[in-house]
Amino acid sequence: MVSCNSVSVAPDCITKFNELKLNKKLKFIIYKLSDDNKEIVIEETSENGDWDFFREKLLKAESKNKMGKVGKGPRYAIYDFNYDLASGEGSRSKITFIAWSPDDAGIQPKMVYASSKDALKRALNGIATEFQANDDDDIEYQSVLKKVSKGGA
Amino acid sequence: MAAQTFNSSMQPTDVYGGDEVSAIVLDPGYSSIRAGFAGEDAPKSFVNSHYGLNSQARLVFGDDAIHNPSAGLEIRNPMSKEGIVEDWDTATSLWEYAITSRLTSFKQADPRTNGMNDDNKDLEMQMEVVEGEEKALEEHPLLMTETAWNTTKNREKSIEIAMESWGCPAFWLARNSVMAAFGAGRATALVVDVGASTASVIGIHDGLILKKSVQKSNLGGNWLSSQLRSLFASQDPPLELIPHYMIASKTPVDAGAPPQAVYRKYEKDPSDSFRALEEERVLTEFKESVVQVWSGPGRLNSMNATGSNNLDYARSQPGRVFEFPDGANQMWGVERFTVAEGMWDEKAALPVPNEAPGTKMTIPEMVRASISAVDMDLRAHLLQNIVVTGGTTLVNGFTDRLNNELMAMYPGARIKIQAAGLTAERRFGSWIGGSILGSLGTFHQMWISKAEYQEFGASVVEKRCK
Repeated sequence: MVSCNSVSVAPDCITKFNELKLNKKLKFIIYKLSDDNKEIVIEETSENGDWDFFREKLLKAESKNKMGKVGKGPRYAIYDFNYDLASGEGSRSKITFIAWSPDDAGIQPKMVYASSKDALKRALNGIATEFQANDDDDIEYQSVLKKVSKGGA
Repeated sequence: MAAQTFNSSMQPTDVYGGDEVSAIVLDPGYSSIRAGFAGEDAPKSFVNSHYGLNSQARLVFGDDAIHNPSAGLEIRNPMSKEGIVEDWDTATSLWEYAITSRLTSFKQADPRTNGMNDDNKDLEMQMEVVEGEEKALEEHPLLMTETAWNTTKNREKSIEIAMESWGCPAFWLARNSVMAAFGAGRATALVVDVGASTASVIGIHDGLILKKSVQKSNLGGNWLSSQLRSLFASQDPPLELIPHYMIASKTPVDAGAPPQAVYRKYEKDPSDSFRALEEERVLTEFKESVVQVWSGPGRLNSMNATGSNNLDYARSQPGRVFEFPDGANQMWGVERFTVAEGMWDEKAALPVPNEAPGTKMTIPEMVRASISAVDMDLRAHLLQNIVVTGGTTLVNGFTDRLNNELMAMYPGARIKIQAAGLTAERRFGSWIGGSILGSLGTFHQMWISKAEYQEFGASVVEKRCK
């Protein structure tokens, strides 16, 4: 038992992940929790490989708290991250899992996303690396490049 | 999580289904017990963990009762100095008081219990009542929090009490550090938790405690109180700490002048333990309004970049006036800083009677020990996700100092500290986390049901609540 609740993962979440992994067309998938917090579903998939396009999506993500008030929202994302090796030995591609939970989101959505994360992670087979991100800086391209490449870029 | 099977008569939804759940969240600590309904923003019940034993050997609970100087009370605490239960009989009664005095008596008014009149539920409940006498929590699943170092025996005892004494239909034990991490939006974090009796540093990865990373010491709020006592004793003349109940009236005096107060007389002097409890209230006020952690960089006793001593700089900072219950008041200058310095620099700790100096790990040292006990790959991750929680971390300057100490300890590493800005989130972090978790529809499959308990016994808690 790692995750602390039994949220379910919509089958589509896995289908699209496998599509990204095998067909190499999709660049990212953003996942969210359904409004009743019972299921993880796909919010968006995209073939756009521009990091800042993706980053903007996370920064604009919203969640409702239990009173229905809308505020910043956490998300999960899969990003097919490509980078060139500094050694000049070609490029690498890493399927990266991102747990996005902005510090200025409400405590309820943060709690729900953190305790449900493992359900999604376990459903997706073939994640190369993962990180948590909690503010704008954490998802700056350079900081992500450093994390994903472990300094190899 | 292991799949559970329920036969049709004990479908979880029949007993505590989906969003109708009115689970109770109980978060017991050394200084206070937090209890309330899952889904609410703050614990409705906040009860002192100290209790009174009166001359007729009866127990009295709650702040309204234990601060009465005429009652001849001995003040005790069922928790050990490590924040785990020592005296189960009393802890059970005290927690029951915390729950029933403020929560279950409001049952009628709680909207979530209004839907409880559905046919089969009613039947079940009536049958239970017929079977035995009515128990305190027969309608409420109970989510309880515990420390990372709770013992197996204690964990089993918790479920026994929930099921046997209180008749709970379902139970779950959650680690308070994990709740605090989740509440900060992190499944992986290094939790620095400084409460009343214990300071701890705990690494968490994907919602699980990394056992080897658990560090704890007594550098919490009570230790800070002992530093204040040492400070007061070292004044010239020594400052006597007189709690409010001893004062009948007072006349304002100038700063530093002897107090002019009329003292109350009691037929029988209240016990030492009573006095200690009341002194602690004054010390708490002092901690909240006067004490300041030297925020760094560097230690209070070290040189700064300009070549002068930080202590000199601290001396030049404006002081704070504190008025004691007897009217004595004075300006506290550099002492505001020195009393908290021992949490960061063991040599700076003021001597405490019956305690060998320099025998405990400071907070930065606990972080170091905790980080070096985990996998290399995880270290950077934990340092970027430090979650600060617990009432004592609200002492001014705490988070800044922690940040400065860690930046010096791990040059080049990215240090990121997350501390809730709201006082309530910092003090009740683990209760709030439990409250949100316990209110999720998807959590109800996690509960250990009464049927499971009856089938597997108390040891089920070790298997299910990791």
